[in-house]
Amino acid sequence: MTGSTPTVDRHLTDRPPRAPAGLGIAPAESSRHGIAVASVERLGKRYGRRQAVDGVSFEVKEREVVGLLGPNGSGKTTILRVITGYLRPSEGTVRIDGFDVVRDGHQARARIGYVPENAPLYGHMRVDEFLHFMGRLRGLRGGALRRGIESARARLALEPVGDAVIGRLSRGYRQRVSIAQAVLNEPKLLVLDEPTNGLDPRQVIELRGLLRTLARDSAVLITSHVLAEMERVADRVAILLDGRLLTVHQLAGAGRGTSLRVRARADRADEVAVALSGLAGIGGVTREEPEGGLAGWRVEVSEAGAAPRVAAALCLAGIASVETVETASDLEELFLRLTASRALQ
Amino acid sequence: MTAFLALVAKELRALFVSPIAYAVIAVFLVLNGYGFAVTLIATKQATLVNVFFQAAVQLVLFVPLVTMRQFAEERRGGTLELLLTSPVREGDIVLAKFAASMGMLLAMVALTLVYSAILARFSTPDWGPIYSGYLGLTLLAGALVSIGLAVSALTANQVVAAVVSLGVFGMLWAIDAWAALLPSPIDNWVLGLSLLARFQPFALGAMYASDFGFFLAVTLLGLFLAVRGLARR
Ligand SMILES: Nc1ncnc2c1ncn2[C@@H]1O[C@H](COP(=O)(O)OP(=O)(O)OP(=O)(O)O)[C@@H](O)[C@H]1O
Ligand SMILES: [Mg+2]
Repeated sequence: MTGSTPTVDRHLTDRPPRAPAGLGIAPAESSRHGIAVASVERLGKRYGRRQAVDGVSFEVKEREVVGLLGPNGSGKTTILRVITGYLRPSEGTVRIDGFDVVRDGHQARARIGYVPENAPLYGHMRVDEFLHFMGRLRGLRGGALRRGIESARARLALEPVGDAVIGRLSRGYRQRVSIAQAVLNEPKLLVLDEPTNGLDPRQVIELRGLLRTLARDSAVLITSHVLAEMERVADRVAILLDGRLLTVHQLAGAGRGTSLRVRARADRADEVAVALSGLAGIGGVTREEPEGGLAGWRVEVSEAGAAPRVAAALCLAGIASVETVETASDLEELFLRLTASRALQ
Repeated sequence: MTAFLALVAKELRALFVSPIAYAVIAVFLVLNGYGFAVTLIATKQATLVNVFFQAAVQLVLFVPLVTMRQFAEERRGGTLELLLTSPVREGDIVLAKFAASMGMLLAMVALTLVYSAILARFSTPDWGPIYSGYLGLTLLAGALVSIGLAVSALTANQVVAAVVSLGVFGMLWAIDAWAALLPSPIDNWVLGLSLLARFQPFALGAMYASDFGFFLAVTLLGLFLAVRGLARR
């Protein structure tokens, strides 16, 4: 604490307006709207003498999906484990909905749903039995428990394997059970450590949808090795290297980085311009150098799903040929640059 | 409470899913039945003193097999992460494992009540030592289970957990033999740590508050260490 700049946040940490433990009343600071569901402040974690995480600060706000990105061994799992209360921080503080994970651990953990790395499960239990057990651990009972299990099973398409012994499930189904367990009681913060591991493409897409749904009324913190996946689901991405936070990068939104190259006969350029102006979901159009009697445009697509629609409209009108160009994304470039520059030092 | 009961149910189920519980119970019953029959035929006396001593030795040998997996397996399989990140207290997790192990062991010991029934059918046994003997076994089991859990909470390896527990139990069992070698005031303190010396009076029908307190204290210490072992992370 010595030598640190007294910021507003510091001030709050030093004298938190705490509610009496166990009454389930959130401290006053969390009642403000849009406030951080999880706030990590100067978090450090040592394993013996090895400093695995060092001075990491970031927040996850309501209705936000934050991604943690970093090479292997950069400390992602360690950070998630501290946030979820599995590991104790060596330095710094973590608060969930205003509750300190060390001092008010019980309250903090009650607000988190957690999908650990590699989906650890009780292999001898059946799927329904396991969900039932995890629900009861979270204090659910009776109707609430039944509804929680029903909706989790439906969301993760687990109905066909309700009676299956977990130990005999495939990797992807185990992963789904692990995710189902985490959403049983609509947590305020959902923490997922590489949740797309082992999922088939359809499940990856459905998980993306599920995360969006969940992010409507909770906050999501996720790690993944798949940059493209991260770009699709996250609003912001925190990039880690050797346990330090390099930057928190705001993503512009889904669909960024996709552009279309449109070509048409030069004499039909006007028709193309008209068609383009009448289409929704177009971010910007730049005219390219004509090539061998063909005029060219580069069309930036601004919203998710618009690219195929725009392409289809132009093609069907029979006036142009369209080529989709997946330009190297911001995130990919940023990540490679950041991690490469550090690696050289 | 919901969470605690769910934990106990899960632990009981886990004990009986593995073949260890059945093997332990079966061997325990066979050895005790044999011992009971042989002593009864040889001495023709309506007592269970021998059965109690045998049962105590077997508890020392078998409890490590029951407790070794409890935390070690959860730690290695990663399921400890699920438990510790749930809104349950570490104490509840430890107590649930303790309750389930004790439930299994006491059910096993209770099966030897058949012998008292046999004695009662054919003679009039002195019930005092029988009550105190069962109480002694219960207290001993509690102390052993809690130490076993503490050891299991400190390692991710079942075999290590079993070997270390067995070593600790063996030392505490036989420590009275070494106590004799020590100088005067210390030898009595060390003798006081001997499980055998503490258990003996119960088997013979004498109950002392100090022995009672000893087993209770060891049990609480073991549970405390198990919670500390879980909290250290
Ligand atoms: N229990 C532990 N004991 C000692 N060191 C550990 C432990 N867990 C992790 N570490 C070390 O801490 C560092 C960060 O590990 P962590 O698992 O958090 O990385 P990660 O970013 O999740 O990596 P990955 O992408 O491979 O999952 C690594 O160097 C790792 O070796
Ligand atoms: Mg990891």
